[in-house]
Amino acid sequence: MLDAKHGGATVASVRDLKVHFQSKRGVVHAVDGVSFDIRDGETLGLVGETGCGKSVTGRSFLRLLPVPPGILAGGSVMFSAHEVCTGCEGTGCETCEGTGRKAGQDRSVNLLGIPSEDMRRIRGDRIAMIFQDPGKALNPTLPVGAQIAEVFLQHRTDELIALAGLPADTVGAVRRFASQSPRLGDGWLLSLPGARAQRRRVEEALATMVAGALAETQVPNPAKLMARYPHELSGGMRQRVMIAQALACNPDLLIADEPTTALDVTVEARILELIRNLQQRRKTSVLYISHDLSLVRRISDRVAVMYAGRIVEIGTTTEVFANPRHPYTRGLMAAVPGADTPRGRLAAIRGTVPELVDPPAACRFCGRCPYETSACRNNDPFLEAITPSHLVACFIDHPAPSGERPNYGRVTA
Amino acid sequence: MRAAAEPQADDLILSIREVKKHYPIREGALQRVVGHVRAVDGVSFDIRRGETVGLVGESGCGKTTLGRVIAALADPTEGGVHYNMDGMMSRIDRLEGKAARAFRRNCQMVFQDSFASLNPRHLVIDLVGRPLKVYNEATSANLIERVVELLEQVGLGRQHLYRYPHQFSGGQRQRISIARALALNPEVIVLDEPTSALDVSVQAQILNLLNDLQKERNLAYLFVTHDLSVVRHMADRLVVMYLGKVAEAGETQAIFDSPHHPYTRELMAAKPDLEADANVEVRGLEGNVPDPARPPRGCRFHTRCELATPACGWEVDDVVRWLEDAPGMFEHLVGVERQTDFAARLAFDSEEAAGLLSMAVRSEQVPEAMRAAMRRLNLDGDKVEIEFEDVGEIGLTARDDGRMAACVLSPEEVASWKRT
Amino acid sequence: MTDTSQSRIDAEGMTADTAFRVRMRRLFGVLQGLASNPATVIGLVIIGLMLAMAIFAPWISEPNSPDPYQMPRDWGAVRKPPGTPGHLLGTTNEGGDVLYGVIWGSRTSLQLSLMVVGSTMIFGTIIGSIAGLVGGWVDEVLMRIVDVFLSIPELIFALAIAAMLGPSFGNIIFALAVVLWVKYARIMRAQVLQIKQHDFVDAARVIGDSKLNIYLRDILPNAVTPVTVQATLDMGNVVLIGATLSFIGLAEAGIAEWGVLVSEGQAGIASGRWWASTFPGLMIFLWALSFNLVGDGLRDALDPRTEGR
Repeated sequence: MLDAKHGGATVASVRDLKVHFQSKRGVVHAVDGVSFDIRDGETLGLVGETGCGKSVTGRSFLRLLPVPPGILAGGSVMFSAHEVCTGCEGTGCETCEGTGRKAGQDRSVNLLGIPSEDMRRIRGDRIAMIFQDPGKALNPTLPVGAQIAEVFLQHRTDELIALAGLPADTVGAVRRFASQSPRLGDGWLLSLPGARAQRRRVEEALATMVAGALAETQVPNPAKLMARYPHELSGGMRQRVMIAQALACNPDLLIADEPTTALDVTVEARILELIRNLQQRRKTSVLYISHDLSLVRRISDRVAVMYAGRIVEIGTTTEVFANPRHPYTRGLMAAVPGADTPRGRLAAIRGTVPELVDPPAACRFCGRCPYETSACRNNDPFLEAITPSHLVACFIDHPAPSGERPNYGRVTA
Repeated sequence: MRAAAEPQADDLILSIREVKKHYPIREGALQRVVGHVRAVDGVSFDIRRGETVGLVGESGCGKTTLGRVIAALADPTEGGVHYNMDGMMSRIDRLEGKAARAFRRNCQMVFQDSFASLNPRHLVIDLVGRPLKVYNEATSANLIERVVELLEQVGLGRQHLYRYPHQFSGGQRQRISIARALALNPEVIVLDEPTSALDVSVQAQILNLLNDLQKERNLAYLFVTHDLSVVRHMADRLVVMYLGKVAEAGETQAIFDSPHHPYTRELMAAKPDLEADANVEVRGLEGNVPDPARPPRGCRFHTRCELATPACGWEVDDVVRWLEDAPGMFEHLVGVERQTDFAARLAFDSEEAAGLLSMAVRSEQVPEAMRAAMRRLNLDGDKVEIEFEDVGEIGLTARDDGRMAACVLSPEEVASWKRT
Repeated sequence: MTDTSQSRIDAEGMTADTAFRVRMRRLFGVLQGLASNPATVIGLVIIGLMLAMAIFAPWISEPNSPDPYQMPRDWGAVRKPPGTPGHLLGTTNEGGDVLYGVIWGSRTSLQLSLMVVGSTMIFGTIIGSIAGLVGGWVDEVLMRIVDVFLSIPELIFALAIAAMLGPSFGNIIFALAVVLWVKYARIMRAQVLQIKQHDFVDAARVIGDSKLNIYLRDILPNAVTPVTVQATLDMGNVVLIGATLSFIGLAEAGIAEWGVLVSEGQAGIASGRWWASTFPGLMIFLWALSFNLVGDGLRDALDPRTEGR
């Protein structure tokens, strides 16, 4: 359904991304050739277990990798900011070929290759991120209002000046104040009677924008919340502040890395609903990273399942959950206790995740897969389509170059 | 599953009676006690041989504290945990000498964080063999064989004897913890979120293992967790906690079929199954968990309950809490003269603000039940006098089939309620 | 640890000696960590040489007086420059052989640092452990005493005590011990309080192990790392402070101690006789530096975040 509506416009496409880590034992292939697209306005769920590389994949969008030991070993992350088609305002028309985007030359940039200065402009403005632990991601020494204000000062100076009722060509200390780039002596300049009044107006405009951003996340009494410090807030409230900060500049892409894992289920449900609502209203694309299958199923339009540094299956949520094709996806789903699972009969996946030090050219699920054959041990499967929108990396659905093909009818011990 | 009839004395292992655990809050240079956090505030239930009791609730509900009290890692402030020793029930914090050792042997614990609960400087043989050494259960000659036997029961083996905890995966480390807990052949094991830190595929392995061991050894488990799907799979009976108290208790299947407490319902609705209809609407709870140092009167859940009635214990603090969240109101509140928890005079800095409040609490802005519970509301210049109905503690009441719930509503009323 | 080494253990069968081997391998891992840091290796080499010098002093430089810790006097060869036959590093104003002073001074320094560090570490660890384990008013009283000690600068405090007791090398050792134990008490208390919170301590309580056993098996072994690092650093620092005290005359005149030698030789520097102060001074510098290098390396090698990865 999403495919039809949004045509081919993608906000980001990852191609053959490889992130390696140097360890004592050798090179760890944490992310090893991952490719996927995030389309305009969709939520793509990225699921997998600890150490599968999902977080590293998400962080590479903003180049938030520890270097060293992290090494970008190859691939690209192309990002194209969402410029709405002037003809149809994003609903899709003839000129934009139904994509809702401004036609014309390709304006995409490779996030892994651009200079740091450009990256800084994109971070927090066009691409934002929310983390698992808002307690760590927020600065404990600043009131939360000031932390959201920073985003506006960094990326929305013109808007701020306009809202303050100042001329757009305002220059000097006031503009520097509104863009958070003070110079020596600005403190004195801003204390002059004329400038002081202007500064006051900028501050008021800023407070309005911050309160507006907080109100979007349905917090009671945003004006009071702005003056609070992160440690005074509950986990759910902190996560709302993080979301307000992330969505302040109306980004094209939001990367959510397990944002509700540390929260209670009842709070989690509220936060999910909030992300979903804001995403739908603003047409933001979301990359939702989580280990929780039922949660990903609820929030995503499409789902990508990661295992040992690779995507093993990707498709629309309905396809993946109604007809999982990869043995790992099936295993994950069967491992969740359901209402009718007889006690002590949970379908566990045997063994543990392999170490990713110099992996051999074989299916990564070998050794844990109940269906593996010689084909799996000697060939490395890659993602292939089984329907136009459902791709699987397993020889069960594709012919293997050599060896006996696995199938679901036969189980190997 | 057991009938709800009189517990057989020899069937009972632990009886938790009115357990309270309060932590003092200290302030200032002199460390004066200014209040108490009521982490656990009067909880009772039994654990019988061979059964699994699930203790569920969200963070801060007191489930972990209660687990620690039951494992004798913390002493209760009031009430006690009684242990069935040869047919005699005796309080575990009053046991001495041989009796204390007997209890210690028979009640073991597995912790959530498998890394933190294994001494990083000890080898597996030291870790698993330690209980055997403490009770002189094994000579140095047969210690290795005993430990290997235990390791094999949890799916590990001889090859793991001489390794350090950090050389294992999280699931394997949890197996080591389980082997250590099994070493003394206990009657009951307190499992404190044993799979919360594990991936689902590994969680399934550990849950299966726990079930197999229970069948083999007729073990009783107290399974402390926040995960409803896990507890439904594991527990025979369930105790649902909210803010230090039991909201509901009974047989697991019966509770999942029809929750008698609105909180249980909310908890179940917040996390649907993988098998459930994908389009079912999921909504969490409004607001925060109230401060456990001053829990709400009446039913502790009334501040967040969509089903709350006038009889649920509305009080002055509810008005103050509402004021805190109302834009531009709290700043004008200058004082609260409290006669009781249910009656007070709120002083504002202007007559206008006082007028605004008395208008607001009569309007749709506050819950209907709160308005109905108001006995008196007088506007007197810049002061507002407010009085609610005096409501006592809403305790657990017995329902059908040995179920208990602490709610003024009937099960039918809870079941028939639809979200607005 | 690779799987091949594990299967070898299987093949050889299980003996108590396997556990010993695994533990030795872990120790070896720490040593490897130390060896991978060039600065630490340099420090270790210097310490090794100086220890050898201290141990073999009677053979390298034979004493010719009844008390070998007294500088021998050769009144026939005063103020000789380095390179003089029989006096390789020259002589002092009173005809003391500088080389003898350097070599026997290393013995004095080793005695000083071992006695001070050993006694303060043990005493401080005991006090810190009691404060951390017992808590309550005992902790309160002990820590206030520690605060009083810490509020006076180390050097001035040690100087005051040593001066009060009169000039003697033994008094310097005593003064330093009195001053320095508080650091260990502080570190140990913080460690105990932190480790007490760990689940593995609760796990030991659930098993029913005795309090003493829990302290000895769970708390102490996990707490000693920062104490060990501090002790290594102090091995150097103590010699530095000790030398300062003897430099200002708080040790007996004429003993083979680097600080005393520097003090006695300093008058000659203005008239060009640099050697009597320089060589002992260099030894003080090398001693303090090498122990600091090793201490820093040890801190990295024992860091639980890197250990065993």
